[in-house]
Amino acid sequence: MTATGAAPGQQGPGAAVTAALDGIRVLELTDESAEYCGRLLAGLGADVVKVEPPEGSPSRHIGPFLDDEPGPDRSLAFWADNVGKRSAVVPHDTGVLELCGVADVLVHTLRPGEAEARGLDFASLHGGNPRLVVCAVTPFGQDGPWADYLADDLVLMALGGSMAACGYGPGPEGVYDTPPLACHGDQAWRTASTYAAIAVLGALAWRYRSGEGQFLDVSAHECSASMTEWHLMTYLCSGGVHRRGPHPTLTAADGRQVAALNPDFLGPHVFAGMLEMLEAEGVAGPLSDPAFADPVHRAANYREVWRALKRLAEKHDGETLYELGQGAGLPWGVIRSPEEVLADRHLRARGHFVELEHPELGRSVTYPGAPFLAHGSPWVARRRPPLLGEHTAQVRDEWLAP
Amino acid sequence: MALEGLRILDFTRLGFGAQATLICGCLGAEVIRVESTRFPDAIRVMPPFVPEPGERGEAFGAATLANATGASSPNRGGIFYKYNTGGKRSITVDARHPKGLQLLKDLVAHSDVVTESFAAGTLDRWGLSYEVMREIRPDIVYVSMCGFGHVGPDTAHVTMGPTAQALTGLTFMVGLPDRPPAGWSFSYLDHVGGYLGAVGILTGVIHRGRTGQGQHIDVSQLEPATALSGALLLDAMLNDRPSRRPGFPTGNRRAHPPCAPSGAYRARGDDKWVVVSCRTEEQWKALVGVMGNPPWVADPRFATVAARVEHADELDEHVEAWTSERDRYEVMALLQGSGVPAGAVQDAADRLERDPQLAARGHYTMLGNAEVDPLPLEGVPFRMSATPPHTGGALHRGPPCLGEDNDTVLGEVLGMGAAELGALEAEGALS
Repeated sequence: MTATGAAPGQQGPGAAVTAALDGIRVLELTDESAEYCGRLLAGLGADVVKVEPPEGSPSRHIGPFLDDEPGPDRSLAFWADNVGKRSAVVPHDTGVLELCGVADVLVHTLRPGEAEARGLDFASLHGGNPRLVVCAVTPFGQDGPWADYLADDLVLMALGGSMAACGYGPGPEGVYDTPPLACHGDQAWRTASTYAAIAVLGALAWRYRSGEGQFLDVSAHECSASMTEWHLMTYLCSGGVHRRGPHPTLTAADGRQVAALNPDFLGPHVFAGMLEMLEAEGVAGPLSDPAFADPVHRAANYREVWRALKRLAEKHDGETLYELGQGAGLPWGVIRSPEEVLADRHLRARGHFVELEHPELGRSVTYPGAPFLAHGSPWVARRRPPLLGEHTAQVRDEWLAP
Repeated sequence: MALEGLRILDFTRLGFGAQATLICGCLGAEVIRVESTRFPDAIRVMPPFVPEPGERGEAFGAATLANATGASSPNRGGIFYKYNTGGKRSITVDARHPKGLQLLKDLVAHSDVVTESFAAGTLDRWGLSYEVMREIRPDIVYVSMCGFGHVGPDTAHVTMGPTAQALTGLTFMVGLPDRPPAGWSFSYLDHVGGYLGAVGILTGVIHRGRTGQGQHIDVSQLEPATALSGALLLDAMLNDRPSRRPGFPTGNRRAHPPCAPSGAYRARGDDKWVVVSCRTEEQWKALVGVMGNPPWVADPRFATVAARVEHADELDEHVEAWTSERDRYEVMALLQGSGVPAGAVQDAADRLERDPQLAARGHYTMLGNAEVDPLPLEGVPFRMSATPPHTGGALHRGPPCLGEDNDTVLGEVLGMGAAELGALEAEGALS
């Protein structure tokens, strides 16, 4: 707990510490593909203003909606990625240009060529405000043979490589009878948005020393292509490629699955801890034979190890099985749905989840909070996602005051 | 370069932490990796190994960390090359040797940032806790990256990417209806955790620049993941629609916005697939045109988006009948040429050899070192007009051999001469 009494992840009222991006003005002109970038920058303390057309950003019209009733202020897709921002309705690009003149950062998702056509290209903006950092997030980047291709998250997950390695393994005949799968939650857009935030922070760090803004070209495809762990190296080293198939899981007594990586992966010493736990639980069986202390014997008879683990799993529910495994030093994790994560005692103790008031609804809503605990420059989680145009006048007064 | 002049004393290991300092290195920071010959980063000796010129390497998957210590050299572990671009330097210091520990303290005095990814408490046991570092360098930015972080009841828990993915909902969100989750077969969260580690480093550096204050930034592998479920979390909480329900997750189908056809379809060849995703009526009409206006599209079941979503199974059969006779890249080119989002399902070989966009963007940079011939390696996937990042960092070089920079780093940073270095080496402090 900090001195203010707030949980460690949050900035309490009256906290004396300064957020890292305190006072930095970020203008956001994006569709749903890069809103997560602004969410991160807002959390770091930036004043992120979402510039919207009168009908609202496209994401305001994407479901699911609160109580399944559509409306620009009811999209949960919008809520998830727009925490902490302000909203200004700016019907014409002249208004956007005016705001760019006094902003520190512009994040946009205009297609290659579109910025030029609208007079929002870097050269024009830089002329009016040499300190402005402009970050363009596009599916494929500003140039190259695919620059004008279209993509949604699914297309990017396919081209980037994660899909090829996600899904079910082959059937008994050795044939893959189900398709490669993409994770829900728009992971390709989130990866691109996170890299966009990194690029913006790098550009700001540079600007403090040089005074100069610059143009950042973020290709979501390149971002996705570089997040598949050792796949490229496997190919370069062995000529092999990774195929899809789940990690091993144990099914607990309540039907929940627990990801149970082979403990020997961490080194043979881990087996001792596991054996002690299995013996205490009375399910060790043949593993108590000293022969199993030898990793070679264990690897050759891994089926016996797995059988003992299955006997253990039958005795406990998923969360207990997870704790038992971790208590024995095993890298196990119970497979939770997104909302089941809310109950995690560790995240709660770290003050991770935040309650934000939605006064117009007379209720508060729980959101994921700080992505890390910065003990000297806390995460800012003060404002629920903005209503459409809620801050139009306020932003004009504050940013454009003579 | 954006972070030119920034010095990071880097104790990270494996993927998660090393991803963070890789990014900073590509942005121009000087990253000094600290290892020891007794305990090199395990990733250096994990298969698959980079083969000798002209050889084919060992297949992935057979060996494990436990039996990989038979690697011929600490410089051939393939995955090391994924996570240690950015021009990182490598020094070997034995922290258990009093003079080794003193060396590390001297380096802290000359560093802006210290990064590490050990289990919580490891650096404290070395005698290099944050408090000690802060005494040496009051404005030091200390960024720790470990599975459960340094605060909270479960800091002793052991995590790897797949563990954290299970615990945070990411495994759950990959799967077909009414089957157990399929999850990710790789450590997505090693990357995401590392990205947020980089955000943490940059946050600390910017904050220090503005206030003069250092701090400890505690990065775990869990918190960076909780916001990745997006609207699913809110839908479950607010609309009484638990994600653990029959029919969910829905494979590649997305309920919002409603669109069909959308998914991965078989293409010609063995287990080859192409994604087609019609998000607008215009795109559907374009798809119909590219398919040659087949008679089945006139079926009222496919007349509107709502109807197509309702009859997605039948629709998918028709679309797949068309795609399965064609090469995945041909389908992609035909559809993209008509304004329909489409993309081949690519693996690493495809990305390297058949992806003209990555090639044109200069996604890969050929880098090697004294032991390994140049390989096409990856850095940060974005461009900066004024301060271009480089996969080889400020020095434009490949991932370092173990200890190859002992003399340079200790000479440049601490002003040590050959005699002094030789003595430290002889005493075992520099090893």
